[in-house]
Amino acid sequence: MTTATANPASGRRDVSGVVDALLTRYGARAVTTRAIREQHSHGEGLADPALPDVVVYPRDNDEVAAIVRLCHAARVPVIAFGVGTSLEAHVAALEGGVTIDFAEMNRVLEVNVEDLDCRVQAGVTREQLNAELKGTGLFFPIDPGANATIGGMAATRASGTNAVRYGTMRENVMGLTVVTADGTPIHTGGRARKSSAGYDLTRLIVGSEGTLGIITEIQLRLYGLPESITAAVCQFPDLGSAVRTVIAAMQMSIPVARIELLDDVQMDACIRYSKLEGYEAKPTLFFEFHGTTAGTAEQAELMQQIASEHGGSAFAWTSAQEERNKLWKARHQAYYAALALKPGHQAFATDACVPISKLADCVLETRADVEREGMTAPIVGHVGDGNFHLVLLFDPKDPADRERAEGIARRCSARAIAMGGTCTGEHGIGVHKLDALVEEHGDAVKVMRAIKHALDPTNILNPGKTVPMHD
Amino acid sequence: MLDPTVHRSLAAVLPAASLLTAPEDTKPYECDGLTLYRERPAAVVLPDTEAQVVDVLKLCHLARVPVVARGAGTSLSGGALPNAQGVVLSLAKFRRILSIDPLARTAVVQPGVRNLAISEAAAAFGLYYAPDPSSQIACSIGGNVAENAGGVHCLKYGLTVHNVRKLRAVLIDGEIVELGGDALDSAGYDLLALITGSEGLLAVITEITVKLLPKPQCARVALAAFDDLEKAGAAVGAVIAAGIIPAGLEMMDQPATRAVEDFVHADYPLDAAAVLLVESDGVNEEVAAEMDEIKRVLTESGATSIRVSKDEAQRLLFWSGRKAAFPAVGRISPDYYCIDGTIPRRALPRVLSAIEAWSVEYGLRCANVFHAGDGNLHPLILFDANVEGESAKAVAFGDRILGLCIEVGGTVTGEHGVGVEKLKTMCEQFGTEELAAFLRIKGAFDPQGLLNPGKAVPTLARCAEFGRMRVHAGELRHPDIPRF
Repeated sequence: MTTATANPASGRRDVSGVVDALLTRYGARAVTTRAIREQHSHGEGLADPALPDVVVYPRDNDEVAAIVRLCHAARVPVIAFGVGTSLEAHVAALEGGVTIDFAEMNRVLEVNVEDLDCRVQAGVTREQLNAELKGTGLFFPIDPGANATIGGMAATRASGTNAVRYGTMRENVMGLTVVTADGTPIHTGGRARKSSAGYDLTRLIVGSEGTLGIITEIQLRLYGLPESITAAVCQFPDLGSAVRTVIAAMQMSIPVARIELLDDVQMDACIRYSKLEGYEAKPTLFFEFHGTTAGTAEQAELMQQIASEHGGSAFAWTSAQEERNKLWKARHQAYYAALALKPGHQAFATDACVPISKLADCVLETRADVEREGMTAPIVGHVGDGNFHLVLLFDPKDPADRERAEGIARRCSARAIAMGGTCTGEHGIGVHKLDALVEEHGDAVKVMRAIKHALDPTNILNPGKTVPMHD
Repeated sequence: MLDPTVHRSLAAVLPAASLLTAPEDTKPYECDGLTLYRERPAAVVLPDTEAQVVDVLKLCHLARVPVVARGAGTSLSGGALPNAQGVVLSLAKFRRILSIDPLARTAVVQPGVRNLAISEAAAAFGLYYAPDPSSQIACSIGGNVAENAGGVHCLKYGLTVHNVRKLRAVLIDGEIVELGGDALDSAGYDLLALITGSEGLLAVITEITVKLLPKPQCARVALAAFDDLEKAGAAVGAVIAAGIIPAGLEMMDQPATRAVEDFVHADYPLDAAAVLLVESDGVNEEVAAEMDEIKRVLTESGATSIRVSKDEAQRLLFWSGRKAAFPAVGRISPDYYCIDGTIPRRALPRVLSAIEAWSVEYGLRCANVFHAGDGNLHPLILFDANVEGESAKAVAFGDRILGLCIEVGGTVTGEHGVGVEKLKTMCEQFGTEELAAFLRIKGAFDPQGLLNPGKAVPTLARCAEFGRMRVHAGELRHPDIPRF
């Protein structure tokens, strides 16, 4: 494997020339006020701000390319920004530089009903896309919880509550327009359902967290709205029973569209925060079934059987959209509900993903670790695909408390890796999991580094993230 | 001729029977499924162990000898075509299924294992491996990964890239890497996807963990006849637009069905201009409901007759025709040239009528079989290489089909890979910038270009030689068409 010898970060020039050029060229669409830079200095995870020097709002691919060319010439870092919902500090401008905010590139460019695909600009959010798809009979299923942009979701290879049925962004991005490190727009993948021409740049860029190219447009797969959608809630006496129910369901290949686990702590938080009525603060599974009317009924019946065998309660049912929305809204607000458990605390969210057969062990050991440390850390998860999240609440004024939280997160990563899983199922590596990446992939990290060098030799694309550049 | 020093060092790390250099021994390796191209390699090595693969690669790396990895040699694009100065690294001895985990639903296999052998071994657990290229009795899983192989069921279950969890691979300098993981997701760059479909240009795969699926409770296939090719093409779009993702959605035109009937007697309607095979699988109730919906859409799209398989025997009979299409066409023509383009589904009627017109223009018959649900065409151009000028006409005809595939927003290869066959068309499909990105990636893995040289990704100089380099977007014939 070849590795670069020179430190790519060296030789960076003064950023002020770039800022001046952007202010001149983009006027009010280039902003240097402290408030705006502050707003772009962090995502929704740990609030360790790192401010960019300037935030620019391009309107098309050419403008993005021109901005990157400017940064390339001056060796100034460039960071793509959607709506800042990422949890691993992907958007923090660790070395300053230029943040490209995609707020003004938010058009759905085309919807091809017959081919079940669409093309969007990177700044389109998933809720906006689904609103615009109304009336076509189609929908875009990937749902990471937050109303993230499609560009951000592609960059972090988001998955979410539906992944067990519809896959993650890896399976659903068909092609991309990407601006490379030297400011050249390239097109990857395309409208064809399959291609074996050339290397799979699409999947290489998906999940590369802005470090290999700036995504400006995305071609997405869409799905027909199912004839019938029903949702059910089932509560369990303990966490292990709930997780084992999920494992059994996956073993039987029940094609559940979503299975979400909320532990008792999270359920308690959701009942209070989202005013859920009729539920207890017990480990809970939310299910959603998609299909024909006969199909969803059959799936649900099987699911209820399995749950009962594991001590689950009778299903609380709903096929009414309003009721269903309320449930999923509560699930989507889980992060904020968790924060509300301890006013004045900050949250540190981490996630892991393990083979489904190891899910119970991993979740229960993680839970025991949290209890040993005396922390408050609700567990939620898209458990159908073996992915769960831990929201660690800590007192920002107490460094020891934060250290305890980080310790639990590190051990959670290590545990998942030891079980053949991964340190992140969907949040990504960002800055917090660089060590875990090495632990997980060993020598393959050298290959990742070589690819980073090959596509971004001067290391201007989101530097300091995703792949550790030195041993 | 192999350099004597290299020969000696290879002999030192391999058992005598695993190193072939005599012309009569290396001749069987001179081509793969694309017999139009042949080249005798300097040597063939057949390692038994990963350690031997490492040794061979290290030696070749040091001596700058090209290495072409080979599985079962069924590639249709020349992916395993040897290099005259190089070594063919055959993985034929890597044919063990190492483990099957019914709980995790995965199998760990060596690259030389045949595709179908995985499903056969998994059957004991009620599981199977979904991607099913037509050559699945013969082709190896390592080759499937290298080419990102598809098959008739990939519409619903995905390509190889969707069905592989983890790979062990050896880099050109002998370093072993593991890519992907046992969980559904894996952190960092998606190297697993990058290696999949890289046609042996980035690494040599030595172990593969594949995803297994439970056999569906029930599967039924509808055989629908159409009196018009374009109507059948439009019916494909109508099925998908109705929100149905069939387990398989295949189309064959009349020349293809007639060839097949003579060969395997699959009970196809011979008077039909085209037939569609539409499969539904799942639990009984769902299959029944979906089949009703499929029949409704097909009828509305103008199907003249629809038969649904009554039992497993009939289902397999209906499929036997499709699976035997290539050999069946091989019986009726001395030579055929298989094209592998993919287009957005809605362009299907337009492309089909163009192929029909060109068939008349070139005076060459063309049998169409294809994975219609994916928009993946396999026109088989029938010709006789012994008739002066027919080969050239077949190639010209094929080039025009591929040109049209690109024009309507498709790609020059859906599943067979680029190999040597489509290097030229790669220059048309991709711009200089995209090709440059490919070459940068190749450089990161294999800066000396030793792994499978001259395949898959043309150098910019090669494109210039072909006279097909797109210098900048302004020179495109149809600048408004989205390309990639």
